[in-house]
Amino acid sequence: MTAGTQSMVRARGLRKEYGSQATLVRAVDGVDLDVAPGETLAVMGPSGCGKSTLLHLLGGLDRASAGELWLAGRRIDTMSERGMAALRRDAVGFVFQAFHLMDELTAAENVELPVLLAGRSPRVARRRAGELLERVGLADRARHLPSQLSGGQRQRVAIARALANRPMVVLADEPTGNLDSEATLDVLRLFESLHEAGQTLVIVTHDSRIAATADRLISMRDGAFIDETRLTGGTSGRLGALLDLDG
Amino acid sequence: MQQEVVLALLAKEPSHGYQLRARLRQALGPLGDAMNDGQIYVTLTRLEKAGQVSSERAAGMPDRPDRKMYALTAHGQQRVASWLAEVSWPKPDLAEFHLKLLAAAAARLADPVAIIDAQRRELLRRLRDAQRAAMAEPDGSEAALLLEGVVLRLQADLRWLEACERSWSGRKART
Amino acid sequence: MGGLLLVTRLVGRDLRFRPAQAVLLLLAITAATTVLSLALALHGVTQRPYQQTRAATRGPDVVALFGGPVAGPQGPGPAVPTVQAEAGALTGAPGVSGHGGPYPVASAVLQLGTIAVQVQAEGRDQGAAAVDQPKVTAGSWVRPDGIVLERTFADALGARVGDRVGLNGRRFTVAGIAVTAASAPYPSLCYQPGGTCVASLPTSCDPTRCTAVGSGEPLTTLQMGQAWLTRPDARALASRAAPLAYVLDLRLRNPAWAPAFAAAHDNAQLGGPGSGNLVPWQSIAYDDGLLVQDEQQVLTPGAWLAGLLAIASVAVLGGGRMADHSRRVGLLKAVGGTPRLVAVVLMAENLAIALFAAAIGLVAGWLTAPLITSPGAGLVGPPGAPSVTPATAAEVAGVALVVALTATLVPAIRGARTSTVSALNDAARPPRRRRVLIAVSRRLPVPLLLGVRLIARRPRRALLGAASVAVTTTGIVAVLTFHATADDRLRGVTRIGNPVVTRDEQMLLVITVALLALAVLNAITTAWATVVDAAGSSALARALGATKRQITGAIAAAQLLPAVPGAILGVPLGLGLFVAASGAGSRGTTIPSVGWLVPAVLATLVAVTALTVIPAWAGARRPVTDVLAREA
Repeated sequence: MTAGTQSMVRARGLRKEYGSQATLVRAVDGVDLDVAPGETLAVMGPSGCGKSTLLHLLGGLDRASAGELWLAGRRIDTMSERGMAALRRDAVGFVFQAFHLMDELTAAENVELPVLLAGRSPRVARRRAGELLERVGLADRARHLPSQLSGGQRQRVAIARALANRPMVVLADEPTGNLDSEATLDVLRLFESLHEAGQTLVIVTHDSRIAATADRLISMRDGAFIDETRLTGGTSGRLGALLDLDG
Repeated sequence: MQQEVVLALLAKEPSHGYQLRARLRQALGPLGDAMNDGQIYVTLTRLEKAGQVSSERAAGMPDRPDRKMYALTAHGQQRVASWLAEVSWPKPDLAEFHLKLLAAAAARLADPVAIIDAQRRELLRRLRDAQRAAMAEPDGSEAALLLEGVVLRLQADLRWLEACERSWSGRKART
Repeated sequence: MGGLLLVTRLVGRDLRFRPAQAVLLLLAITAATTVLSLALALHGVTQRPYQQTRAATRGPDVVALFGGPVAGPQGPGPAVPTVQAEAGALTGAPGVSGHGGPYPVASAVLQLGTIAVQVQAEGRDQGAAAVDQPKVTAGSWVRPDGIVLERTFADALGARVGDRVGLNGRRFTVAGIAVTAASAPYPSLCYQPGGTCVASLPTSCDPTRCTAVGSGEPLTTLQMGQAWLTRPDARALASRAAPLAYVLDLRLRNPAWAPAFAAAHDNAQLGGPGSGNLVPWQSIAYDDGLLVQDEQQVLTPGAWLAGLLAIASVAVLGGGRMADHSRRVGLLKAVGGTPRLVAVVLMAENLAIALFAAAIGLVAGWLTAPLITSPGAGLVGPPGAPSVTPATAAEVAGVALVVALTATLVPAIRGARTSTVSALNDAARPPRRRRVLIAVSRRLPVPLLLGVRLIARRPRRALLGAASVAVTTTGIVAVLTFHATADDRLRGVTRIGNPVVTRDEQMLLVITVALLALAVLNAITTAWATVVDAAGSSALARALGATKRQITGAIAAAQLLPAVPGAILGVPLGLGLFVAASGAGSRGTTIPSVGWLVPAVLATLVAVTALTVIPAWAGARRPVTDVLAREA
């Protein structure tokens, strides 16, 4: 963590436990984390290591059992339920593995929903939805229902929805878990473009392709961080090395 | 037979030829069935010539390669150390990496998990480069196809490395 | 056989997993079956006690009345020789096998404490008569200065043996209380066609003291009670304004001939308040049963209402369970069950619950029936319960099964038809898209936005909710209308209790309680079903930033918005139902004041909202991630 640059997300000693005594499960066990503004962070680990739980804590979807959590300098773990709802609405955008779009709403209606929830006028909401769908390349599908969209398109709509209220952080939980490789590429491109635009991203993933787009990769096991890798700055830069034609 | 592999097998202690062969067999399992028995002795001879391995005839044993006692020289040890630290991944040769880990663990020369992590990091960086290059290519170019193949292979290797890490971490936890 | 075992086991397992829903279903059908079995119990009661009274009192087959009520100063009433001639002709007519009387009947004002009531006092011998000897149930038979009161009348008055009463100013003591089959019990004494009142009305009664109003209105005769005195005492009560009337009891060789005999020998000139002066016992029996019939009139529409509400509850519950059912259906099939097995299991479960509810309803109805079916104190009859016949049991069970079937047939068939794959993928029927509602909702504040969209997702449930609120309000308004009408009719007239109205009120209380219970159940089940169905989208909305309060408000709005038209609709429906049930016609009905109606409607809506908010609030407490993970 570089001094002087305030972290977008900061966690100290974050802990989340379920059950009691005999059946106590530590889903997140003492995690310290700093995410710089504009950084893309990937969290990888085996199933059940707690990475999804960690993401839920960061996004205010769940409350930590212990530890401190800041988002853009504001203390989150002590916030009221109301405050957390406002947080989810304005400061954080969530992308789920199962997309979680409303089946009976069109793509545009799905995207504009967070804007309406924030109390903006329907016109503003519709306009914003249009911009975002344009951004993710689905302007021509604005009036389609989710059932009429492919998996990759649905996830892109979900990403557009996550961006609706200009969140400070976009949190993605296995965004390509339900997608084929073609759709994964689309989502990949989208994440890259978000990164270029300066969006802070925290992505939980199994997929090394997604992880490879990150600036930093953290490995997690049994609720704790075990490894951290800086990925910016690749190999010797020689793509020939990839194929080892001289070898 | 990779020379480094044979060297690494001697890193723990000097062994007879036939012991080396047995260890290899065991490490490779069914994949070792295809191994040519004689290859290992050819490699040993070459290494001896290169001065990385020294051999001795055991007392009372016939002068056959499988009964000879082999040991690493200082030169050989150096070569093993630098091989362990290497992350070049020349061609997806799973057997070599697998043996590297086993040798490192047996000889306590390095932590296999650290080796795996280092290799993973390298592969991730390569994946990133390859992906970037693939996305920069125009649609339908032949290079793009090739790059996609590279990406997919790297992905597969990475998955295997993750499995290695799980397995070796578990082993470490038990000891 | 193995199939039956499998089905039984699957049903048992399912019931154990979801006991709460099963219990709600049970309660809904039980409420309906209880009301139904009460209604059925009353059916068979009507005639029996009268027969017993007839047997016990050696009741007459025909009662002959001589002299009638004279409003205002008129002629002196029938002359004694005329009466004796007529009586002689009647007693000697073919078919007559015995007689009693003629007895003199005087009308007087009876005063007990502060109550003054009209009374028809028959003069009797102290010994027992061969025909029509009223059976004394307390105290003893007539003696000088002693008066015997008819039992229902005594109950209404609150009079007991030994009480001192005044009769036209003279002091009497209540010597005893008796029942008779020769006249209908209070307050039906003068009610046609079996009315046997002959006494004339006093014209000199002070309106502020008398409960009788000398205006000729039918109301006045409601207040007349039957009593017996010694012959001399009765004769002494006659006056110029209220001359004596006479009553003759006849026994026929064949009691079934009574109506024909009465028609043949009727002499209108001498008659009672109606056209004829001969009253066959069948008419008296009919009047007797009026009390019970009145109750039936109240119970039957009540039972219908209860049934409708029960169907609504079950439909909502059935629809709600189907969401889980579909997944289980799919799994059942995946494990190798046929669609037939699936449908059988689903139906079997609901039918089992329905049968159980029928049993409970029968027992509950059987236990509460005595409270209602004791046919007024005026008849000798066991206050015990009418027996539950196999026919009754079958009818109640049948209705319960039909209710369960109606509500669950469609979802069950649909459930059985879904393909395994689609059943495993989609939890329930995918919601339909209602473009207009969605577009409209965009302009609304957040709770209404989400609430309207919830309605749009499940319009059928919204309709059902509206219907059940309508049914509830209909019942409440019908009850209010009855109260208003009864109060109006009896205003200024009742100072002593009127068993018909009291009984009716008791009945209505029972109905109201049952309806309210069902309505509460309905609101709870609809709310629960709404909450469960909305769980996924409300969790998502919360993930997107809606607060718990907004979500609770949304679910409440989703319940309340359809409830309002339902409640408003209930008002005219309730009025209509009362008019239809009471047969009084719209002129005889008093519309309850706005001061009652508006609070009733509002209270219903408030209750519905409250009953929704509680499960909604509880549901909003569950962590978002859990719900989302389940929906995935």
